[in-house]
Parts: sequence; C-alpha cells; structure tokens
Amino acid sequence: MVNMAENSCINLENVSIGYRGTPILEGINFSINSGDAIVLFGQNGSGKTTLFKTILRIIPPLQGNIIYNSDPPQRFGYVPQSQSLDEIYPFTALDIVLMGTFGQIKPFSFTPAKSRILAKQCLMDVGMLESKRKLFSELSGGQKQRVLIARALATNPNILLLDEPVAGIDVDAVRMIMDLITMLHEKHRLTVMIITHESLTIPAWVNKKIHIKNNAVVVENAK
Amino acid sequence: MEHLFEILNPNFLLRNSFYVGLVIGFVCPQVGIFFVLRRMILMGIALPQVSNAGITFAFLMHTLGWHFFPHVESEKAMALTGSIFFTLFAIFLLAILERKGKGFTENRIGFTYAIAGAVSVLFVSWNPHGHSELISLLKGEIVAIPDAYLWATFAIYGIIFIFLTGFHRNFMLISFDNDMAVVMGKKVIVWDILLFLIIGIVISFGVMAVGPMVIFGFLLLPSITARMITRGIFPFCIVSSIIGVFAAFTGFYISYCFDLPIGPIDVALLGAIFFIAYIIKKCIPGK
Repeated sequence: MVNMAENSCINLENVSIGYRGTPILEGINFSINSGDAIVLFGQNGSGKTTLFKTILRIIPPLQGNIIYNSDPPQRFGYVPQSQSLDEIYPFTALDIVLMGTFGQIKPFSFTPAKSRILAKQCLMDVGMLESKRKLFSELSGGQKQRVLIARALATNPNILLLDEPVAGIDVDAVRMIMDLITMLHEKHRLTVMIITHESLTIPAWVNKKIHIKNNAVVVENAK
Repeated sequence: MEHLFEILNPNFLLRNSFYVGLVIGFVCPQVGIFFVLRRMILMGIALPQVSNAGITFAFLMHTLGWHFFPHVESEKAMALTGSIFFTLFAIFLLAILERKGKGFTENRIGFTYAIAGAVSVLFVSWNPHGHSELISLLKGEIVAIPDAYLWATFAIYGIIFIFLTGFHRNFMLISFDNDMAVVMGKKVIVWDILLFLIIGIVISFGVMAVGPMVIFGFLLLPSITARMITRGIFPFCIVSSIIGVFAAFTGFYISYCFDLPIGPIDVALLGAIFFIAYIIKKCIPGK
C-alpha cells in the first residue's frame, strides 16, 4: 500500500521518461494535488508533451513510479493540440464532443439521448453550441480548441490536461480560452495542468509552475 | 425495362453474381472509409494485388498437386486460403513496419504492389490450367459464382458489417485520436488488429469473387465521393454504402444490357458518380 498525501492525486517518484529506452528527462519528482492549477513550461523538444503523455499513461515511464490516487479514481480530460488531429475526418463539432461519451456507451447500441444531451451541454459550457453542426475542419483555431475542451469535459474528468491550448491562435481567442479554463478551474473545481512555451499566457490563479530547462525539471510554487 | 425485370427475377441465371456485387457494393465502402480517413489509400491498391498473388499461388499449388488441406480438393477453398494468408501476412507486416517507423510508407507499399503484381503474373504463366479463370478474375468478370460462395459471402460480409457497425465508435476513435483512446482506457492495439483482420478478410474474400480492380474501386471511390458531399460521420458512412450499392446495381444492369464485363463497368460508374458529385458540389454556392 502506497501512502499519499491526503489531497494528492498523482505522485511522480524518481521518474524517467523517453522513447524506446532513450531517456529525455530523468529523476522527475513532483506531485499533483487536488485543485492544483499547474503550468508546464519548456522549449520545443524539451520533453513537455512526453511528460504529459507519461502522466496520461499513453507512454510508459522508463524508470520510477507514477502513483495515482484511487480514492477518488483519477479521470483525465485530455485536450491535445488541435493541429495534431487530421482534418480529413468529416466530424462535426458535435461528433467530436460525443467521443468523450464513448466510454459510457456499449457496443452494438445507438448513441443514447443522455450522451447527446451531455455533449450539447459541454458545447454550451464552452460557448460552441451554435456551431455544433459545423465541420471540425471549418472551425478557427480557437473554436477547435474550445470543442476539444468540450470533448474532454464530456468524459466527466477531475483532472484536465491541456497540451498548448493557445498555440497558434489569435489574441482574442487566447483570452477566451484562458477565461474558459479559469472558469473550469474555479467554478467546476477541476485540477488543471497546461503545457505552454508562451510565458505571457500564464493566468494569475496558477499555483504551481514546472520548468523544464537543461534536461532538468524544476518545480516552483507560484502562490 | 425488360432486362431490369429479368435481373430482379429470383430465377435469373446470373443472380449469384448480381447479389454478390450488391453485397460487395454495400460492405466494401464501410471498410474503405478507414482507408480514406487513415490515409491508407495506397494500401487499398496494394492489398488486393497481394490477395490476387495469394490466389494465383494457391491455383499453381493446386495444379502441381499440392494441397493446403489434404482432404479438401476444392480449388476455391485453396484459393481463398492463399488469398487470406497472403493478405493478412502483408497487412500485419506493413502495420508492424509502420509502427516501427523505419523508411517511408509510400516506398513500402509501392514495393509490395510491384512485387505482388509481378509474382501474380509469374504464378499465372507457370500454371498451365488456371490461366483463363485467373485472367477473368483480373479483368473483374463476375459471372460464375456458385451458390455456396454466394451464401458464404452473405455470411462473412454480414458478420463483418455487424462488427463494423457494432464497434464503429471504437474504430473511429482509435483512428482519429489514438492518444484520446488510450486515455479513455481503450486497448488500441487490440482494436487495430481487429480492424486489420476485418480489412484482410474483406479484401481476400472480395478479390476471390470479383478481382482486385473491382475491390479497389468499391473500397475507395464510394468513400472518396461521400467524403466530398456529406457533413458528419454518420451521413458519410451511409452515403458511402448507398453509392456502392447504386454502382453495383446500375453497373450490373448496364453490363447485362450491353454485354460488357461487369467489373470495369462498376468501376467506371463509380468514377462517373465521383465526377458528377464534384461538378454538382462546385456548382452549388457555399459548398
């Protein structure tokens, strides 16, 4: 039995991350507590996304332990970079958000009405309900990001992880996205972790900053 | 009109090839949507050719008196086994190489296509008896389909259609956003293997019935056309199959009326539908 601090969701203990046995970052130690708002900084190629994907269990750690608190179980809401998704798929905004409900739908069944209602509610939360029938490929960068946040919300998460949510979008859209994340953190009490390499976009409510510099991970309490 | 009534008559002599064409027209586009969306169109060209190489290899073995199954003398069973074995071997080999990320995808698929095409011709030329049947297969002449093969087509394509629709959400999720699928706890490798298995069986069985050219046409052209004219994933899937069935039906009718080979007519018709859809789309403002 592993002991964790009372409000700790995830503990990283001496973790090494990388691909195919080659470490990118080693000796990572920090914890994510319930209600945290964390920003992860680093240059391109520094290992930010790899660290994110390791926390999300998409890739396994090369060494060390990542301990997930099971009481309550950790449900991740993952928001990838919209540019990483192929626009050849003719998904509407609603189709995309419905993906977040797939975990609750059994195979060989129609999409239940409650999933559709949830998806529409999530679209409303991010201010995109009116665009539900628009193709994902037709949306602007900021709108795509909001739809992806709605999809993450549809998974009913307690931790929201956003990979460069404001990369490549205009100033107004950046403000709108950051206001939305603020609302989700403050009103919905979601634990939030954001990757960014743009220090200008750090909101005031962030309580922990993690810097990746010179192959080292430095954790700094912001409040 | 007289020809149409003849075709629709349950005692029509060529009813088996007509029904098989419709089933292929309906189910193949459902597999083809994954080729189009996962940008594996080149694989859609190469795999039917590989399947064809498997068939020609099996026929050659049969002619030389060597059987895969000592107690089964049927040529069709041999050919189907060869087709499935070659296709699944190629699809999983290509998938493993893709996952390892060595070399370029286009090179690997181009290489597979060229080699499969060459060995098909060699296997045919070494086979003193199977020549005419195989040439018919290559040309897509869907005529002589026995009852047993018709029922097997219904059963296999029916099961595949049920799997594709039943697990549609998982197949779409792992194809569109692999990382999200993992975060949601999906076993991505298992779903990938299942999808590749379905693709392999559809191609193997289809190539046995109608040849590589027709299968390639029905896999890709309906989906490409539907992609252009629909909005949303559900209409895209439905319209793909509607185009496939329409082309199979109309192609058979034209072929029967004018005594032309069915396969090439089907593919030409699919091409015509694509161009008509393209022109209509361009003419409608705001589309």
